[in-house]
Order: sequence, then C-alpha cells, then structure tokens
Amino acid sequence: MNMSSPTIDLLAVNRRRKARRHSIALALLLALVVVLFGFTLSVGQSVIAPLDVLRVLSGEPIPGTSFTVGQLRLPRAVLSILSGLCFGLGGVAFQVMLRNPLASPDIIGITSGAGAAAVFAIVVLQMSGPMVSLLAVGAGLGVAVLVYGLSFRNGVGGTRLILVGIGVSAMLQSVIAYILSTAPSWSLQEAMRWLTGSVNGAQLQQALPLLLALAVFGGVLLSRTRDLEALRLGDDTASALGVRVSQTRMLVIVSAVGMIAAATAVTGPIAFVAFLAGPIAARIVRSNGSLLLPAALVGAILVLLGDYVGQVLLPSRYPVGVITGALGAPYLIFLIVRVNRTGGSL
Amino acid sequence: MTDHSLVATELSAGYDGKEILKGLDLTIPSGRITVIVGANACGKSTFLRTLSRLLTPTKGHVLLDGTSIHRTPARQLARTLGLLPQAPIAPEGITVADLVSRGRHPHKSLFSRWTRKDDEAVDGALAATKTFDLAERPVDELSGGQRQRVWIAMALAQETEILLLDEPTTFLDINHQIEVLDLLTDLNRERGTTVVMVLHDLNLAARYADDLVAMAGGKIHAFGTPEEVLTEDMVREVFGLESRIIEDPLSGRPMMLPIGRHRMAGIGASL
Repeated sequence: MNMSSPTIDLLAVNRRRKARRHSIALALLLALVVVLFGFTLSVGQSVIAPLDVLRVLSGEPIPGTSFTVGQLRLPRAVLSILSGLCFGLGGVAFQVMLRNPLASPDIIGITSGAGAAAVFAIVVLQMSGPMVSLLAVGAGLGVAVLVYGLSFRNGVGGTRLILVGIGVSAMLQSVIAYILSTAPSWSLQEAMRWLTGSVNGAQLQQALPLLLALAVFGGVLLSRTRDLEALRLGDDTASALGVRVSQTRMLVIVSAVGMIAAATAVTGPIAFVAFLAGPIAARIVRSNGSLLLPAALVGAILVLLGDYVGQVLLPSRYPVGVITGALGAPYLIFLIVRVNRTGGSL
Repeated sequence: MTDHSLVATELSAGYDGKEILKGLDLTIPSGRITVIVGANACGKSTFLRTLSRLLTPTKGHVLLDGTSIHRTPARQLARTLGLLPQAPIAPEGITVADLVSRGRHPHKSLFSRWTRKDDEAVDGALAATKTFDLAERPVDELSGGQRQRVWIAMALAQETEILLLDEPTTFLDINHQIEVLDLLTDLNRERGTTVVMVLHDLNLAARYADDLVAMAGGKIHAFGTPEEVLTEDMVREVFGLESRIIEDPLSGRPMMLPIGRHRMAGIGASL
C-alpha cells in the first residue's frame, strides 16, 4: 500500500487545484458584485466621485449628493443585490435538486402563483402593502406543495414535476390575465408593478426581510450543499450514499421557495433571474465544486446589471424585470432545444 | 474484515399498493458472491431495492446485524451497505476522480474536512478498478465499460463491507461484462466484500456466483450452489423454457443450453 503514495499525492494535488479554482471563481464573482455596487452608486444620470460616495456611505452629509446616493441609489443597489442572491440561490437549489435547468421556480409556477395571489389581493380584495406580500409568499408555497403533490408517484420524478409545473404556471397566467382584464385602472398600475419586477421606489428597510430570508433559508440550503451534490447522481445513488432523499427534498423546497417568495414580495418576480443564475454559474465554475454560492452571486450581478441597463443605458426607463426577461427568454428557447437533443442536465 | 449478516424475513414490498415481493426469506451469505436470477417482473430488482432501503417493505424486515435497516441512521447504514443502482446519473462534465470521491459522502459530516484517509480510499478504488489513468477525464467521454468501472470505483470508495449491484453488466459488450464480473470477484477475494447482484445471463450467473438465488413470483424459488440451483427443472419452472444443462468446460460450473423450436439438429428425434 505504501507503493501507491505518489498516486495519492497526485490525486490530492488535483483536488486542491480544483478547490483553488472554485475559490478563485467565487472571489472574482464577489469582486464583480462589489465593483458593480460601487459603480451603480457613483455613475447614474449624474456622476458622483467615488470618494464622495464613500463619504456619504460613512454617514457624512453632502448636500444633494447625500440624497442621490443615500436615498435613491443605495437602497436600489442593496435591494438588487439581496433579491438577486435570493433568486439565484433559490433557483439553483431547485435546478440541482431536480437535475434540470428547466426546474427553476419561475418556470414551474411558483413565481406565477405568488404573482396571481398578489394581483388577486390588489384588484379583488383591494389590499395593499405587507398583506399583499404575505399572501404572495403563502401562495408561492401553496403552489410548490400543489405541484409537488400532483407529480408524486413513488417519489417525485424531476421531469414530471417540471411538466406539471409548466401546466400549473399556464393556468395561473390565465388567472392573472383574467383578473387584469377586469381591473379598474387605478389598481392596474399597482398590479402591473407586481408582475414585472422592479426595484423602483426601493427603501432600505425592505432589506430586512430579505436579509432574514438569506440567513435562515440560505443557511439551510448551504448546510445541505453536500447532500445536494450527491442528489446530482440520481435519487437512488444519493440514497445509497446515505442521503435521506425525501427529507432533503422537503427542506430544499421549503427553503428555496421561502427565499424566492420573500424576494418576490419585495421586488416582484424579476423575470428569469432564478432560471439564469444556475446555468451561468455552471459555465463559470465548471465541475470544480458546488454551484450554490456562485449562482447566488451571479443572481446579484444579473439584477444589479439589469437594473442599471434599464435605468441608465436605455433611452427611456424600464423596470429590471423587462431587461432580465429579454435576456432570459432566448436562453429558455435555447435550453429547451438543447435539452431535447441531449437530455442534458445541470 | 468483520462479518456482517444481512437477512430478509417475511419480506413483502411493492409499488402503488401492488405487492411484488410476497413474503420472502433469505439470509445473504457473508463474504461470498450471491447472484439473483429470475424472469422479468419476478421481483429481483424490487428485492435488491428493498435490501438497500430504497424501498420500504410493507411487511417483514431487512435486518443488518440484527437491526432493521429502516431504523439505522442513513449515513451509518451507507458505511456498511453500498448499492450501485441500475441507472446512476453522472452530472455533466464531472471528472472520474470527482465522481469516485462522491463515494466518501457517508464518511463526511457537515464540517469534517477531506483527509488523507479519503484520498487513500479514492486512490485504492481507482487502482482496484484500473481507472487511475482516467482520473481527470470527464465521465461522459468514457466508453460504457469504463464508465461502469468508474461507478464501481465510486461504490468501492464508500468502503462498505456489503455491496449490492442491480444488473451491473446490462448494456455492456460481452468483453466488458467479463471485465466487470472479474473485477467484482477480485474485490470479493481481496477485500472480503460480500457481493450481491442481479444478473440477466444465467450462464454468467452460474459461473461467477458462490451462491445462486432463483426468484419467481416474488419469492425465492431456489437457493444454493450453482449446481444445486441451475437445473433443467428450475429453468422450466422459473422461465417456462426447456433446456439442457451441461458442464461449462472452462469453469466446471453448470451451463444452460436453451431448447427452441428451430436448429435443434443435435437432439434429433429425442424431443
């Protein structure tokens, strides 16, 4: 057995190199988030010197600049990052668990469920504020349970769950369309805001529920990283490796839906961020390690970038959901074509 | 290597309320190669799934060292009892070394770090399956035979004393089938691992088994040495097929020649 020690060393070297690549990818993504954060704070319709931005952030009052940075740009950037982290992490958890990039919450109806409930609350029940959000979160969880239940047969098959989810999503979309068609114009605007997803009118205190969701649900998901990685080998293999598959599934579903719903409640469903973050992270990380953290960071980058493009770079202002939607739809088509051809998984 | 006893008592199990295993009793001999054969839908895969806890029995128990496996913590069970399912999934782009390392999962807890011992286990598994040269190759680029060796390597890295395999030779060319069965025999001889597998090919089953199990109708039809189990009567009762059993000139084990309606010149009028 002592003979084999050079081969063991070789294995260890390769393993460490992969771990290092994973850390580097994470560090780069994190750096990109920080740079984008700083950039969106200082460069907008007007340009504010980075030093002034830092002074405002440290609490120093500068007339005019304090308002622009502290009241307008900062809450926007902070909410973009936090909701992006929630969407990215929640989305990739679903995709990894069900071994299919199409299994993201915005495809399988969870987002539509939250949207339908919000529109119903606004238009029919004439509610507003936190009650709408609460209802939306509840509906998101409800749809998750419904889709899970409908696709249950000797355990839950990934493909069946996706197809059931797409069906449920279509049904909910028609509910939304029906309610909108009967809506009076004054509530229509509020309802539309819920459906496109934007960080317009962001306020810093809205960050609190997102931080909470990240801490609790994100913590649960990250603590399950190894089990999720094992699930990528198939339910049977994961089970043979000592993963309690159904229990892990339930935990992941509740946590991921919790995060997605919390973010949706604050920003509305920012289209396709949950769906895009995982596959983009997979391109960056390759097979060097877990996708959870990288996908969360990619989600934050997508929302930050999408909002910036919508606010500053285009001739008129668009909510971030329009930008990410325009980005995500072609990718969805590409993915469906590709998955059909290769049966590819995440 | 310690002896482990794996016993099924009055085991019933199935899907959608349909019973497939119907009160089955079997003690898996420790440190030997046990091969399960039987016609399609006789319950052999269901039996293997129930033995490995993928399926919960509706009646009866699977006892590992006297304790029901459904009461043993999942991780602890996975350190003693390994399973290679029929269709494991390799994530896109995963390398061989990575995949084999996944076998260490039951030995790791949330905060435990990768240790030298883990590297040794992976190295040993790669060496035993002769896949070390493939270590940094992506699994999806390998041939069917190589891939199956890699999956077995993953199960080896798990370092379980009992290994269950569901049709490990399906979809493989005959040369790779022999390669895999030889490898499992090495494993049994060198590490003392108890091997239990379902095989389709009766002759390969008889050649490689220490003990042969023939299943029919969700029960054990016959259990014993290949000579005791692979008989013309068994083949007729389990498969509904007339046959001749001769001695395999290479292994000395029984070998089954099926009797069909055509090309039977050798037995002429004796039919």
